[in-house]
Amino acid sequence: MSDAIAVRQVTKAFGKNVAVRDLDLTVAAGSLCGFIGPNGAGKTTTIRMIMSIMLPDAGEISVLGCASALDAKDRIGYLPEERGIYKKMRVASFLKHIGRLKGVPDSLVNPRVERWLASVELGDVADKKCEELSKGMQQKIQFITCVLHEPDLLILDEPFSGLDPVNMRLLRDLILQEHDRGTTIIFSTHVMAQAEALCDRIVMIDEGRKVLDESVAEIRAKYDPRVVNLEPLDPEADVGTLSRISGVRAVEPDGGGWKLHLADRSDPSTVIRDIVSQVPPARIELHRPSLEDIFVQIVTGSAGADERGVATLRKGVSDRDATVDRVHS
Amino acid sequence: MSRVGWIAWREFVATVATKGFILGILFTPILIGVMIVVMPILLDDTPPRVEGELLVLDSTGVVVDDIAAWLAPEEVARRAGELVDAIDEVLPDAIREIGDRATGGDMGEQALAAILAEVPDIQVVPLPLDADIEAEKERLLVGSSADGGRLAVAVIHSDAVARDSAGAEFGDYDLFVREKLDDRIEDELRGALRDAIIAGRVRSSGLDRAEIEALTNVRRVRSTTVTQGGEQETNEVINMLLPGAFMILLLMAVMTGGQQILLTTVEEKRSRVVEVLLSAVSPMQLMAGKILGQLCVGFVMLGVYGGMGFAALLSFALLGYVEVSLIFYLVIFYLIAYFTLGSAMAAIGSAVNEITEAQSLMMPVMMTMMIPWLLWLPITRDPNGIFAVVASFVPPINTFVMMLRMSSVTPPPFWQVWLSIAVGIAGAYAALWAAAKVFRVGLLMYGKPPNLPTLWRWIRQA
Repeated sequence: MSDAIAVRQVTKAFGKNVAVRDLDLTVAAGSLCGFIGPNGAGKTTTIRMIMSIMLPDAGEISVLGCASALDAKDRIGYLPEERGIYKKMRVASFLKHIGRLKGVPDSLVNPRVERWLASVELGDVADKKCEELSKGMQQKIQFITCVLHEPDLLILDEPFSGLDPVNMRLLRDLILQEHDRGTTIIFSTHVMAQAEALCDRIVMIDEGRKVLDESVAEIRAKYDPRVVNLEPLDPEADVGTLSRISGVRAVEPDGGGWKLHLADRSDPSTVIRDIVSQVPPARIELHRPSLEDIFVQIVTGSAGADERGVATLRKGVSDRDATVDRVHS
Repeated sequence: MSRVGWIAWREFVATVATKGFILGILFTPILIGVMIVVMPILLDDTPPRVEGELLVLDSTGVVVDDIAAWLAPEEVARRAGELVDAIDEVLPDAIREIGDRATGGDMGEQALAAILAEVPDIQVVPLPLDADIEAEKERLLVGSSADGGRLAVAVIHSDAVARDSAGAEFGDYDLFVREKLDDRIEDELRGALRDAIIAGRVRSSGLDRAEIEALTNVRRVRSTTVTQGGEQETNEVINMLLPGAFMILLLMAVMTGGQQILLTTVEEKRSRVVEVLLSAVSPMQLMAGKILGQLCVGFVMLGVYGGMGFAALLSFALLGYVEVSLIFYLVIFYLIAYFTLGSAMAAIGSAVNEITEAQSLMMPVMMTMMIPWLLWLPITRDPNGIFAVVASFVPPINTFVMMLRMSSVTPPPFWQVWLSIAVGIAGAYAALWAAAKVFRVGLLMYGKPPNLPTLWRWIRQA
């Protein structure tokens, strides 16, 4: 499979602040890649460099086989982190204008605008001014601007921010629909659960450095689950024997149930079978670490990192509201 | 249409198809028309209607009657009529006809009638030679000018008409006026005293004043300008105003387009739509589209106001004062001036987050744009002086200066015009080059707005 995006040893600094450092990144054509990291990690800067909106200080970027995204603009759809519309323009006029700038032929602009407005349930706002729309509606309009020209590559910077759950689901379906069409999609988010749910590949970035770049399956295999959550059928059941099961390192209470930590190299399936034979469960599951857990683990270097550092990282990755730009000196 | 073309089209439509622009373009000529009608009323030079007394202690005994004659209402009205005639003479025939049509008859006669009803009525009261001047002055403190009564006390010196000794200087007079006496009334009193004293001096010298006036009066002759298209009466007013009109036309078109570039760039940056645009076009294409769009807005301004100006000249039969080649050069200089200023405005707009932040960066640009106003009169008076010639080759003001010179009565040599155009094109290219660098860097910069040294650094680094 050829690469839709290839970033090689790219560095970008703003004054003394190095936003992206020696970044290597490849996104295979046809993949749906999540680009995750906390606020200020360098995601938007990387995406702007991929889009040739900014130029890197060092390194090379190729997009859809071109040395610069400028040479492939018509094949790229881009939803920037900072949404923007012409407030005084009417919705349909705005979409047609952007469509024309994206190279959509005149004869196709009108039907495509109508079709997309209908598909996001905004067919009745075509003649309204953009400023009259709600924030969610505006966001859907902006999504249309990046798919109107049927791009081969779709780059979405924080596409779900500010959307309610219903519109979030609608947008997710539209993204998957574009992916099914064969479009390569890379989207950045600091809400890792979204990436986990949608993507087949994850790239993690922190302080301008890539810290993870693997498929979701590889990540799950690599970050082997080492915890079993157990809720006994009989709340009064004797769980003291569980710690003696081979492969169980420790047992600790967890809300109404128990958390069993597995020993290294133990086989979870064997351990679970032994647990079930001794304590009939109402619920038993292998706890899968979330991307957030993995991210924290990677960045702190070990599970035993100091609590304050971990808390800071968690705050960083879950802070949904901060949208502050890096102020470039 | 190319992408630059679409950007230019949106820019043009978004600017022109707004109520603000349409009202603004109509409002300006209406405002000018109102000013032409209202300003003469507001700046009425005729002395106000005042009734009162001028007490005169005439030590010569020969002046007071002439003062009374000068201040008689009929004489005041007659002099005002002469003023109207003088104005009438300067006015072009076509404008005078318009005024006559508007007033339903002869504009001059109507103005004279109006003046007769409004002239001051000042009684001249002689004082005996032994009058107590200090006591008379005290009475100036009673009442006010509006109440009538005593307006002023004049004391004519005894040697005002005849010298005390041969070779000595003539004496004159002292004038004491009440508080808040209208300046125009005071001017009338001074005029009366001066004229009466001169009349007395002429008589005492045994001369005939009417003869002296006849000898010293030479009618002001209006010259005839000989052109290749024939002879026409020289119109000094048009000669003076035409260069300014061309410069203002150029300045208005340039400023309108330039300011709109600034506003729309700031708005696109503030609303963050700029990043959407940059995903479709390059910064250079975006800037080019914006500049071209606003260039067309400037052409609309030129077309509307220039068209109105030419229509006015045509209807007043004054079109002969404008050479057709001036229109060609107006377009050339507009393009040069616009690209220079428009580039600067685009760069400033891209560098700031809010229009209020643009003030400090705008200051040098606005100061530069003020220079043509300051140069208007000096260059119109001496269009080929060293100052005018040097300023013709200094961008970005050279376009305005050359427009002033070319529409003056003595246009510059051909080579200077084209050298100025070449210098202007070089200046515009440099401005576009620098602006493109600032534009590219500034568009995605948020936070503290840059100062001039920072802009310079962007230009060097980008």
